[in-house]
Amino acid sequence: MTPTLPEILRGNFMSLAIPATPDMAGQFMTARVSVIALLNLLGAQEAERGTAGAVRENRMISDLLGSAPAYAVVVPEPRDAPSPAAIDAHNAALRRALIALHEAVEQRGDDATEARILALYAAMAEGRKLILPPLPG
Amino acid sequence: MSLDAQLAAYLTRRWQAPVEIEGLSRIPGGASRETYRFDALVGDTRRPLILRRDPAGSLIDTDRRTEFEAYRTAHGRLPVPEPIALEIDGAELDRPFFLMQRIDGGIVTSPFAAQPFGAHAPAIGIAFFHALGTLAALNPAGTPLGSLLPAPAPDQCWRVALDHWAAAILRDEAHPQPIVRAAIRRLYRHPPPPAQAVRILHGDYRSGNLMHDGAGQILAILDWELAHLGDPLEDLGWAFDPLWNHFDPGTVCGMIPQAQAIALWEAASGLRVDPAALRWWQLFNAVKGQAIWTGAAREYRGQGCIDPILGISAWYTARRHDEILADQLQRFGDAA
Repeated sequence: MTPTLPEILRGNFMSLAIPATPDMAGQFMTARVSVIALLNLLGAQEAERGTAGAVRENRMISDLLGSAPAYAVVVPEPRDAPSPAAIDAHNAALRRALIALHEAVEQRGDDATEARILALYAAMAEGRKLILPPLPG
Repeated sequence: MSLDAQLAAYLTRRWQAPVEIEGLSRIPGGASRETYRFDALVGDTRRPLILRRDPAGSLIDTDRRTEFEAYRTAHGRLPVPEPIALEIDGAELDRPFFLMQRIDGGIVTSPFAAQPFGAHAPAIGIAFFHALGTLAALNPAGTPLGSLLPAPAPDQCWRVALDHWAAAILRDEAHPQPIVRAAIRRLYRHPPPPAQAVRILHGDYRSGNLMHDGAGQILAILDWELAHLGDPLEDLGWAFDPLWNHFDPGTVCGMIPQAQAIALWEAASGLRVDPAALRWWQLFNAVKGQAIWTGAAREYRGQGCIDPILGISAWYTARRHDEILADQLQRFGDAA
């Protein structure tokens, strides 16, 4: 998924390390720092749950692809030793296969399999969810 | 040369009188332009102004002439600041920009704030959706924006809009996005009825693009950079997106219930909201949102991840829109 957590955290460092111009002081910089803090808060969630969520998503997609033999789907296998980047690359391959499966399912008018795919989408979105606390108005 | 010196040189030339600049300060005013507030002193007159200048990179690539002409069109009809000057070639400021009147003393809320309007939410909601209906009632012919932009045929509004944002996703996507792609296919397979009328759309009509006085009055409707001509239900669908409900699913934009917003809009516009058409435009707007966040991710990474506004757009809002899309896909399927 993009951006990745390392990209976000490196970016936060860089956005604070680059000297601000005088006209950025005040309201603009206050807002900027607030958003950086928010990104860090969400980054903590991703560090806690992100990899487990991605592994779970990969398993769910693999299961669905494997349970649709009528479509002759090739289920991508992980190619590298487990790491966040390898899991992400595997996820991309699985998602591409899922897109192809869904297109084939739509062409056949296979409502039962489509319902399972739509339910999978909801589960995937739920598994990647970042929880934003309501902020003061 | 510093920006305030550049501004002074430009305004001195434009107004044919010496101008001094005071209080130049960048403000967080939208993610697609650099926005600054300042006072221009000319003779005994102090003019509070806003500068909107093209950045090196932005959340959305939009045409500043469109935004400027949208302000010209809406000024006097809706609460918007008066546009002052547009310089497409950048003049003394190096990059394209425009100037507009500054409205002081108002509050612009974050989309992530809870109960941003407090006890004044109903009053602001009434004014907000009445204003959107007023815009939808306006015939664009002869207006500055209507003279600038092409008007799609009523039965092509949906296709023009969907083609644009679907292409943006295909262009900017770095990681495969099966959910939004499914939504795009669904929208192409089940087009909405033709637009009742082709109207001027704000393009980003939501709670974070209004300025209010903290006491129930809207002072300004801002950020017209996505203005275009199309089916006015598009704006309504964007305002109804759950992303903007401020954690209150019982309201739209954290203001009033959706049914009340529709009634206000219909009364002001003289148009009717077809539920099936609105459902299409709501799913479309979730696609449009995801296209914007996908573009933000490309821009964020392209700039070295230094703009946190692009970061939050690319990350939190993108995942939130996947949730919204997945939910709407299931409900759209049930009703189709």
